[in-house]
Amino acid sequence: MAARSDGASDLAEARAVSKTFVRDEHQLAVLRDVSLTVRPSEVIAILGPSGCGKSTLLRILVGLIPPTTGEVLCHGAPLRGIHPGAAIVFQNFALYPWLTVAENVRVGLYRRALQRDEENARITRAIDLVGLEGFEEAYPKELSGGMKQRVGIARAIVGGPELLCMDEPFSALDVLTAESLRSEVYGLWSRGDLGLKSMLLITHLIEEAVFLGDRIVIMGTNPGSVRETIANPLPHPREYRDPAFLALVDEIHAVITQVHLPDERRRPELAARIEPFPNSEVAQVFGLLEVLHDQGGIANLFDLATRLQLEVGRVILVIKAAELFGFVDTPKQDVVLTTIGRELVAGDANARKRIVHARLMAIPTFCYLVDRLRRTETMRLAAEVVEEELAMHVPNEPTEALFETIVRWGRYGELLGYDPETREIYLDVESTVASTHEGAPT
Amino acid sequence: MAITRMRPRAADAVAAVRSYWIDVLLLVVLAALFAGTLALARRWEAPYRAATEIDLSPWALPRYTLLSLARGLVAYVLSFAFTLAYGTIAAYHRRAERIMIPLLDILQGIPVLGFLPGLVLGMVALFPRSNAGLELACVLMIFTGQVWNMTFSFYGSLRAIPDELREVAALHRFGWWKRFRTLEVPSSMIGLVWNSMMSMAGGWFFLTVTEAFTLGDRDFRLPGIGSYMSVAIDRGDTRAMGCAVVAMIVMIVAVDQVVWRPALAWAQKFKVEETSAGAAPRSWLLDLLRRSRLVPWLELELGRLLAAVGGGHAESPKSFVREPRVTRVLPWTAGLVAALALVAVVAWGSVHLVVLLGTLTASDWAALAAALGLTFLRTATAVALGALWAVPVGIWVGLSPARTRIVQPLVQIAAAFPAPMIFPLVTLAVLSAGIPFGWGCVLLMLLGSQWYVLFNVLAGATATPQDLREAADVYGLGRIARWRTLYLPAVFPQLVTGLVTAAGGAWNASIVAEYVRYRGRTLVAPGLGALITQASETANFPLLAAGVSTMAVALVALNRTVWRRLYHVADERYSLNR
Repeated sequence: MAARSDGASDLAEARAVSKTFVRDEHQLAVLRDVSLTVRPSEVIAILGPSGCGKSTLLRILVGLIPPTTGEVLCHGAPLRGIHPGAAIVFQNFALYPWLTVAENVRVGLYRRALQRDEENARITRAIDLVGLEGFEEAYPKELSGGMKQRVGIARAIVGGPELLCMDEPFSALDVLTAESLRSEVYGLWSRGDLGLKSMLLITHLIEEAVFLGDRIVIMGTNPGSVRETIANPLPHPREYRDPAFLALVDEIHAVITQVHLPDERRRPELAARIEPFPNSEVAQVFGLLEVLHDQGGIANLFDLATRLQLEVGRVILVIKAAELFGFVDTPKQDVVLTTIGRELVAGDANARKRIVHARLMAIPTFCYLVDRLRRTETMRLAAEVVEEELAMHVPNEPTEALFETIVRWGRYGELLGYDPETREIYLDVESTVASTHEGAPT
Repeated sequence: MAITRMRPRAADAVAAVRSYWIDVLLLVVLAALFAGTLALARRWEAPYRAATEIDLSPWALPRYTLLSLARGLVAYVLSFAFTLAYGTIAAYHRRAERIMIPLLDILQGIPVLGFLPGLVLGMVALFPRSNAGLELACVLMIFTGQVWNMTFSFYGSLRAIPDELREVAALHRFGWWKRFRTLEVPSSMIGLVWNSMMSMAGGWFFLTVTEAFTLGDRDFRLPGIGSYMSVAIDRGDTRAMGCAVVAMIVMIVAVDQVVWRPALAWAQKFKVEETSAGAAPRSWLLDLLRRSRLVPWLELELGRLLAAVGGGHAESPKSFVREPRVTRVLPWTAGLVAALALVAVVAWGSVHLVVLLGTLTASDWAALAAALGLTFLRTATAVALGALWAVPVGIWVGLSPARTRIVQPLVQIAAAFPAPMIFPLVTLAVLSAGIPFGWGCVLLMLLGSQWYVLFNVLAGATATPQDLREAADVYGLGRIARWRTLYLPAVFPQLVTGLVTAAGGAWNASIVAEYVRYRGRTLVAPGLGALITQASETANFPLLAAGVSTMAVALVALNRTVWRRLYHVADERYSLNR
C-alpha cells in the first residue's frame, strides 16, 4: 500500500500483531493476532483486565518493543524505531527523581533540538497548562501523586506530539484526583492548539474508557486479543451519572462478562454440587418413556409398575431418574411425558445419546464431576476419590451403587468414561472438547 | 500468575519424583565432612609446632586446600553465630545498641594484623603444648576478616522489619523460635547470604598472611594453601604459585556451587518485591536436594524439635501482663555482668593502648602522619581508577539481562579470589614495565578493590526501572544525555556502596600491597600498610598499635565525613523509592 502523505493518514496501525515473551525457557503468549488502527482525531480506549497485554500493545504501537509477528505502521509506512510523533504518560509517572520538574519536562523536548529560549518558553507553557506554575524547581518526591502525573503530562505534551498514549495514567491516583485529571486531559486534547491529533488510553476501568474513549476496544486474556470494539457516540462533556453513560457502562459490562465468563451465561442458575442420583438402568428409563408414549403420554404410577413388570419401589426410582433428566413430569399420582421425553422416544440411537449428553450437562452431580475432572492435569480421577467425595456429600446413599449409576449414565451420554483397569473415570474428550475450550477456568 | 501456570509439566514431575540415590549421595557427603572434621581435630591435638615444613609438590595441594577450607568454614560458623547474637542484641536493646554499633564500626576498620599479635601470643600461651592455639589463632584471624559486614547486614535487616509485622507476632504470641523462623529469617536471609559470600571472600583475602607470618624472630606456619603460596613466593617457585592459584580458584568455584548458589536460590523465596530484571538465581544442587527424601524429613523433625525447645507460643504477650519480678532479675543481672565485662575489657585495652602509645617519640608520630598521607593518596587513586573502568562496564553489562547472566558469576568469583596471592606476580610485571613500586602498589590495591565497584554498579544497573528506560526511549534521549540523565544517577546509590567497600578493601590491602616479598627480596612502598607490616615482623608492638589505631581512626573518620555525606546525597536525591 502506498503511504498517504496527507495529514489525515492513520497515525499508527498494528496489523495481525502477536507477541510472545520467553522467560526461563518458558514461552508466554501475551498477544495473539491483534489489529488496531489509530485514526486522526479520535480517542481510543483499550479496556481489559490485567494481563491481557494492553500495555504491551501500546509499547508495540509506539515502537518500544518489536512484535514477534505482524506489522506495525506509522502513517502507512513500516515503523522503524520509535514513533516520531508519539508521547507516553506512564502509570507510575516515570519521572527522573534526580531532576526538577522543569528538567523533567525538558526531557520531552530532547528530540526537538530547539534553541534554549524556545525550549524554556515551551516548558513554561506546558507547566502552566497542567497547573504547576511555581513548582518548576521542585523535585518529584516533594509532589503528591496527582502533581507528579501532571509533570508526566507536561513532559508528554511539551514536544507537541500528534499521538498521546496513556498507560493506565490515573490508576496510581486516588479517585477524586483521577476524576479531575481525566477532565483536564480531555480539556487539553480538545483545545486543538497543541498539535495533538489522537489519544490512546489504556485502562481497566469501564467508566474511564466511556468518559474519554470515542472508540472502546475490549480485550480478553490468555493470550491477549481484541474481543469487541464499541463506538461511543455520547457527546462531550460526558457525565458519569447521565443515564446514557450508565447504559453504555452496563452494556460494556455485559460484553466483558460474556468474554470472560462464558460458562456463567450458559448455565446461570446451576450450582455444581453432588446430589443423590436415583439408581437406574438406561434401558429401564427408556422403557418407561416408551410405555408412556404408547399410553398417550400420561399414565398412573401403579399402571406403569404392572406394565413394566417391576415392583413399585423400583419404578419410582426409574421415574425419579427420568424426572431428573426432564423427560417426564409427575403431577400428583400421574406421570406425564415432556417434550424432551417425546423427542427422545422419537429419536434414533444417536439422537438419544445426544439428548442424554445435553441433559447430563444440566444435572448438578455431573457438572460437579466434569468441573472436577477439568481441573486435574490428566482429566482423570481415581474411582476411590470420586467414591469418597460421593460418600461425603451423600452419606445416606450406598456409594458404590451411586458411582455405578453415574458411570452408567455418563458412559451412555458419552460424557464420562471409565477405565476398569486403572479404576479411573475420565472426561470423554471427543464429545466435550468444544465446551472444555470455552469453559476452562480463567 | 500466568507465568507459573505456563511452566511445563515435566519440570513439576521432576520436582515431584523423589529418589533414594540422592539420599545415599547426601549421606556419603555427610560422612566425608565428618571424617574431614575429625582429621582437622586430630591436627589440633598434635604437639605444638610453630612452623610446619610445606611440601611444594602439587600433590600436596589438595590436602592443604582442604585444611584451609576447613579453617574458613569453622571461622564462618563462628561468624554466623556471632552475627546472630551480636545483631539481635544490638537491634533489640537500645542501650546496648549505642555502644555496640560504633564499636562494630571501629572493629571493622582494624586490619587483620592488628589482631594478629594479641591472638597468636594469647592462644599459644593458652595451649602451650598442642597445635590448637595456633590453629585457633588462625581461625580467629579469618573470622575477623569475615564477620563485620555480616553482622551489620543482619542488624540492619532486623531494624528494618516493619512494626506491623512485629505486632502481629506479638499478638499471636510467637515464641522465639517461631518469631525467628517467620519474621527474622525471612527478612534478613537474602542480605545475609549475599554478605556471607562477601565475607568468605574477605576471610580468604589475608590467607597468605594468616597461615604464615613472622612475629619478631619467630616464624609461624600452618599447613594450608595460604602458607603453600607464601613459601612458593619466598622461593620464587612460579609453577607452585600457578598450582596454588588454580587450587584456590577450584575451591572458590566449588564453594560457590555447593554452598552459595543453593543458599541464594533457596533464599529467593523470601524475596518481597517483584523485579522484572534479571533471572532468579538457580542452582542445580538445590534442584537435586529438593528431590531428596531425607531432607524434608530432617527439616520437619528439626523444626519440631526447635519449636518444642523454643516454645511454639509465648506464655502471654509481653505488653499485656507484667512479668513477675523473679524472672526479670535474672536477665537483668546477666546483662549487667556482660555490660560490665565489656566495659572492663574496653577500659583495660584502652589503658594498655595508651601505655603502649606513650613510648612512641615525636618522630615516630611524624612518620605515622606521613605514612597515613601516602597511603591515603594511594587508596584514593586505586578507588578512582577502579571506578573509572568499573562504572561504565558495570552499567553496560547490567542493562542487558543476557550479558548479566554471563558476567555476574564471573565477577563474583573474581571478587572472591584473594588478590594478595598474585601480588608478587603482578609486582614483577610492574617492575619489569619500569613503573616504580611506590606507584605499582596502587595497582595491587586496585586488584583487591575494583570488583566491589563493578559488582555493586552492575547490580544497580540491573535494577534500573523499566519505565524510566522507556521514557528515555520515547523522548529520544541520545547516548550522552541518556548516561547523564538516567544511567549514572540511577546507579549512584549502589556506586556509593561499592566505593565504600572498595576503599575499605584498598586500605586493608595496603598492608600486603605496600610490602611485598619475593624470593628473599623485599619491596617497600613507604606508607601506613608497610609500616604496620614491618612493625608486626619486628615485633615493635608500640608502633604496631599506633599504626593499627591510626588506620582504624582514619577509616572511621572517612566514614563519618565523606561516605556518610555521600550516602545522604544518594538517599536524598538519587533514591528510586518513589
